[in-house]
Amino acid sequence: MIPGLILRCLLFAVLWWVLAEGHIDDLWLGVVAVMTATWASAVLMPPVAHRLRLIKMPGFVLFFLRNSIRGGFQVAMMALRGRAALQPGVLELQLNLPEGGPRVLMTSVIGLMPGTLSVELAEDRLRVHVLDERLSLAAEVGELEARISALFGVGL
Amino acid sequence: MIEILSVVLQIAGAFFYFAGTLGLLRFPDVYSRLHALAKADNLGLGCVLIGLALQAESVAVALKLLLIWPLALAASAGVSYAIARRADSLGVVPWCKEKH
Repeated sequence: MIPGLILRCLLFAVLWWVLAEGHIDDLWLGVVAVMTATWASAVLMPPVAHRLRLIKMPGFVLFFLRNSIRGGFQVAMMALRGRAALQPGVLELQLNLPEGGPRVLMTSVIGLMPGTLSVELAEDRLRVHVLDERLSLAAEVGELEARISALFGVGL
Repeated sequence: MIEILSVVLQIAGAFFYFAGTLGLLRFPDVYSRLHALAKADNLGLGCVLIGLALQAESVAVALKLLLIWPLALAASAGVSYAIARRADSLGVVPWCKEKH
């Protein structure tokens, strides 16, 4: 609990430094803002359930960047070709992730991965709209799920 | 050198914004259009922001520019899910090639 809060406090301090563009003349205001933000985050989101494993973060970020660039390229090419490039369909996935943060992250991130967009999350079933059902997206979705479970340190 | 890289990234960003808008206009239904907006525009934004950050006068300003990207990504991911879910609950059937 306490190490988590100290980490958050540090992140908020860096955030303040960035927002103030490196100026430190009104430091007291920054201290008040950082303390208030830490307090608010402790009240609104107590650092207990599903803690992120920071060591897995760089790998996840790289995976995310690689795939969102691929996704952006793919949809840009489809837009240039028009409707002829599309063969949309709806997939229904069974999520093995625990509810809360991990499922919400999965639902959100799927919308930025190549060819997929979340339509409805109900319990552990996620319905996904796909731009081209000829692409085999099941393996990619599986990899994303494995990455997220590693990030939260939960087994599938 | 950095100037050239910055300009190239900003042109690439403009291209992805263009493609995203093209998708918004040409794709047949709300779901496909969301794909175009969420993915292409976010890649465009990322390119433009990295391009601008390269020319920033200090590290803090560069980080401030780069910070916009994850915030916009989070908003865009959440909003596109919300719109898709609402369309689905209103009974909007996804466009399907066979019928046309």
